[in-house]
Amino acid sequence: MELEFPSIDNLVKWPAYFGDGTFYAFNKIALISVLAVLIPTVLFKMAKKDMVPRGVQNIVEGTVEFVEKQVVLSAIGPEGLKYTPLLLSIFLFVFFGNIFEVIPTFQMPANARMANPVILAIVAWVSFIGIGIKAQGLGGFLKSSLFPPGVPTALMPLVSIIEFISTFLLRPFGLAVRLFANMLAGHILLVTFAVLCITLFQPSILAAILPFSFAMLVGLVGFEIMVSLIQAFVFSLLTAVYIKLSLHAH
Amino acid sequence: MLAQTLMLRFGEDGEELEELVEVAADNPILPVTSELFWGAITFAALFLLVKYVLLPPVQKTMQERADLLRADLDAADAAREKAGSVATEVSDQLADVRAESAQIIDAARAEAEAERARIVGAVEVEVAAAKAEAEAEISAARQRAMAGVGPAVADLAADAASRVMNRPIEAGAARPVVDRLLNSPN
Repeated sequence: MELEFPSIDNLVKWPAYFGDGTFYAFNKIALISVLAVLIPTVLFKMAKKDMVPRGVQNIVEGTVEFVEKQVVLSAIGPEGLKYTPLLLSIFLFVFFGNIFEVIPTFQMPANARMANPVILAIVAWVSFIGIGIKAQGLGGFLKSSLFPPGVPTALMPLVSIIEFISTFLLRPFGLAVRLFANMLAGHILLVTFAVLCITLFQPSILAAILPFSFAMLVGLVGFEIMVSLIQAFVFSLLTAVYIKLSLHAH
Repeated sequence: MLAQTLMLRFGEDGEELEELVEVAADNPILPVTSELFWGAITFAALFLLVKYVLLPPVQKTMQERADLLRADLDAADAAREKAGSVATEVSDQLADVRAESAQIIDAARAEAEAERARIVGAVEVEVAAAKAEAEAEISAARQRAMAGVGPAVADLAADAASRVMNRPIEAGAARPVVDRLLNSPN
C-alpha cells in the first residue's frame, strides 16, 4: 500500500478554460468568482416581497439582517448602516468563494488562492482609508492613525512607525493572509483525508481504519462549511471595525 | 502581476529574469494576474449589484414590515389604552349605579317600612275596635242570657227546694239567692 499525495500545484492550480496565458485566463477560480456573483443575484431575485417571508426570502432577509445586526450595528453602530452594501458584498463574496470547497466537482475554495483575498483586502484598505479621510480630513485621519494620544513625545516617532505599519500594512495583510491560510489549510485537510480514504479502500488489514478516516472526512466537511461562514463573518466584521476606527479620532 | 513585478526588480540579465519570473509564477502562495483580474471584476460587479439592484428592494420590504409591525403595535397599545379607559369609565358608571340603586333600595325599604307600620297601626286600631265591639256584644248577650236564665233557675231551685223541704217555697224568695250565684265570678 502506497500513499500518493498530490503535489501542492495539483491542489490549488487549475488549467484555464479559455484565454490561457493571458491576463483574462478563465480557470476554476474565476468560475467560482463568477458564481459567487451569480448565486447571490439569483437568490436575491428569487426572494419574494411578502410581508410574511418564506423559503428563499427567509434566507435572503436573514442574511441581510445578520450582516446589519451582527456586523454593521455591532461594530460601527447606526451610522454604519450606509456601509451595509459594501459589507454585505464582502460577506457574500467570501462565503460563496469559500463554500465551493465542499461542493462536489468544484471542491476548491476560491479563497485558497491569494487573488481574491488580496482584492478584498485592498477593497477594505481603500474603504477604511477613504472613509477616514472623508470623515476626519486627511490631516485628522493621519493624526488619529499615526499619533495616538497619551504617548510621551520621546516615544512618538517609534509609536508612529509602529502605528503606520500596523494600520496601513498589517491590517490588509492580516485580512488577506488570514482568509487565504484558513481556506488553504482546510482544503489541504480535506484532500488529505480524501486521499487517505482512497488509499485505505483496498483489500488489506488497514481497511479497518477506513470507517474512521471516512467519518473524519465527513466531519471535516461539516467543519469546513462552518469555517466558510466564520471566515466570511470575520472578514466583514474586521472591515467594519476598521471603518469604525477610521470614522472618529481616538 | 504582483509576483512578476517583485521578481523583475531582482532580475539583472534576460536569462536570469525569465527564470525568476517562472519561479514566481509557480509559487502557489502568490496571486496570479488572471485570478486578480477576475476577482476584481466579479467583486466590483457584486458590489454594484448589491448596492443598486439587489439590496434596496429587500431593505424596502424589511422596512415596510417593520413599519407595519410598529403600526400594529401602536394600534394595539392605543386599543389597550382605550380599553383601559373604557373599563375605568364602565367601572365608574357601575359604582354610580350601585350607589344610586342602594339609595333607591334604602328609600324603598324606608317607605315600605312606613307603609307597613301605617297599615299595621290601622289594622291594630280596627282590630281593637272590632274586639271592643265584640266584647260589648258578648257582654250584652251574656246580660241578656243571664236575665233570661235567672227566673227559670229560681223556679227550678224553688221547686227543688220545695221537694226537699216538703213545703212550698216561693220562687220570688229564691230569686235573690239565684241572682247572687249567677252573678258571682266563680
